[in-house]
Amino acid sequence: MLLLHTLRCVGSTTLARLAEVAGRPEPDVESELIDLAVAGLVTFEPGPFGGWGITTAGRAVHATWIAEELAAAGTEAAVAEALDRFLPLNAELLDLCEAWQLRPEARVLTLLGALDRRAEPVCADLTGALPRFGRYRVRLAEALARVRAGETRYVTDDMASYHVIWFQLHEDLLLTLGIPR
Amino acid sequence: MRWIHSLASGQPVEVLGGKAHGLAVLRRLGLAVPPAFVVGADACRAYLRDGRLPGGLAEEVAAAVAALPAGEVSVRSGASVSMPGMMTTVLGLPAHPVGPILDAVAEVFASWHTPRARTYRELHDIPHDLGTAVTIQAMVYGDRDPRSGTGVAFTRDPTTGAPVPFGDVLYGRRGDAVVSGREPTVPLGDLAVREPRVWAGLTRAMALVEGHYRDACYLEFTYESGDLWFLQVRPGRFTGAAAVVVAADLADEGVVARSDALLRVAPEDLRRVARITGPADVLARGLGACPGVATGRVATSAGAAVRMAAAGPVVLVRPETSPLDLRGMAAAAGIVTARGGPASHAAVVARAMGRPAVVGASGLVVSAGSVRAGDRVIPEGAVVTIDGTSGDVALGEPPVTASLADAHVHRLLGWADDVSGDTSDRPEPERLRAAHAVLRQ
Repeated sequence: MLLLHTLRCVGSTTLARLAEVAGRPEPDVESELIDLAVAGLVTFEPGPFGGWGITTAGRAVHATWIAEELAAAGTEAAVAEALDRFLPLNAELLDLCEAWQLRPEARVLTLLGALDRRAEPVCADLTGALPRFGRYRVRLAEALARVRAGETRYVTDDMASYHVIWFQLHEDLLLTLGIPR
Repeated sequence: MRWIHSLASGQPVEVLGGKAHGLAVLRRLGLAVPPAFVVGADACRAYLRDGRLPGGLAEEVAAAVAALPAGEVSVRSGASVSMPGMMTTVLGLPAHPVGPILDAVAEVFASWHTPRARTYRELHDIPHDLGTAVTIQAMVYGDRDPRSGTGVAFTRDPTTGAPVPFGDVLYGRRGDAVVSGREPTVPLGDLAVREPRVWAGLTRAMALVEGHYRDACYLEFTYESGDLWFLQVRPGRFTGAAAVVVAADLADEGVVARSDALLRVAPEDLRRVARITGPADVLARGLGACPGVATGRVATSAGAAVRMAAAGPVVLVRPETSPLDLRGMAAAAGIVTARGGPASHAAVVARAMGRPAVVGASGLVVSAGSVRAGDRVIPEGAVVTIDGTSGDVALGEPPVTASLADAHVHRLLGWADDVSGDTSDRPEPERLRAAHAVLRQ
């Protein structure tokens, strides 16, 4: 079910990308996807913009699952508090992304590093509330490491960029708390 | 009075902040400005240093508030350099007792130190110890009665630079509604028919502020029961083709010297960007988030965009975007969102993918299979054209050009060559840079 949730947060994607996001071996992920497809919860679309995606039925099952998950964990207040701390950071990250896209200067990357450090305790508290959030910390750190190694497309321009991962974290928080966009 | 200043005090922008300095200009030009006073930026610096409002400020504010007309006030930040949307504004505070006003002043001062404001200053080379002034002003009400309203106005068209007033008005609403972009607005020119006296006052003010700033200007105004009030003015800060056109026109009109006109245009403003020109059936206007023009069939979901893209270009129109839309954005030739600003996930992704994009087109209501614009329903599959510079979303295929300001560019670069003394065949930005180098010596 966690894989269904990952797919819901990421949007339609390839097997390789989904395995990377989930941090699991491709064959395991593929086997689970096939089971989910047999159940009618996910589907594979061919074509240049195709890939594995969640079905309408899958979204309904997912919505039930995620509400039950939070209720079982009993940590709704902690997640809601983390969202309150996340939103100002989100506005700041979007400012930084815009600044980077208009003028890609080193100081934007310095500020991104500083923002990442301030986001860390929020991610840590989220992970305490629901351990599956721990994966974002790992992925954001990977993207930032790539940026620091000179692969600057990992700021905004790659599907595994810092911004895209952050965008998925934002979506995950809203989904987890059942807040419509 | 140590900490506070009147709009007539003649204090410089460093003390009054940009917003109040603009109000002082409007007042000096004889235009109606609601009564106001300013807590200077030095009080903010004292607050940031000591962690509390400076001694004596409370008494000064109480005395100054007593001199305002009875009623509510607004409390607004205003640093000497622009930091749009970074700090707090408090509207509709009762003026008595004075305690809540002082709390609001402290709240504005404290908002100087939010991490987002700090990051903004780092990005724009603004010193962290500059501080912000605070303007405390009597409220006027654009929602008072049917003969009230509020609007924003540019003295010239900010997308083409043409010398015609441009802006938006909201009837029977307050200023925050029009700036928020949440409610569909009416084009400014409509005011000429509905409120001729307000329109006459507005166009007269436009001429006065242009004369003062010697530039295209931006105005915020409210009219209450037919009386026109001005709430903000600043130079227009146009970019791209509009910057070229305004600079060249002002030089031709003798308002600025040719050398000033050259310095007002940046080499990036000369970049050729596709734009909608001429007659267009504009369905809605948002903010241009990624320049360029895209024409395609409307798709209202990522799935539809992917399916339809196989048969030709698609414009993806969404209320706002989630990661589920990423593949639709990749498949689309252009992207429109009804909500969100230039710093939204959709805008960042559109720029990353190089797709022309319009965000915050609040006049559009997107549902499954169709888009509503006012009383018109645009079905999925209808052809639209979007302009990622102006933010226009138009029905059909209006004329498009990448050389909107050719005559003006030609004229301006002729002056540039006169300055540099170099008439050799070079790229346009180089011709401008050479003139800048001479003028900045």
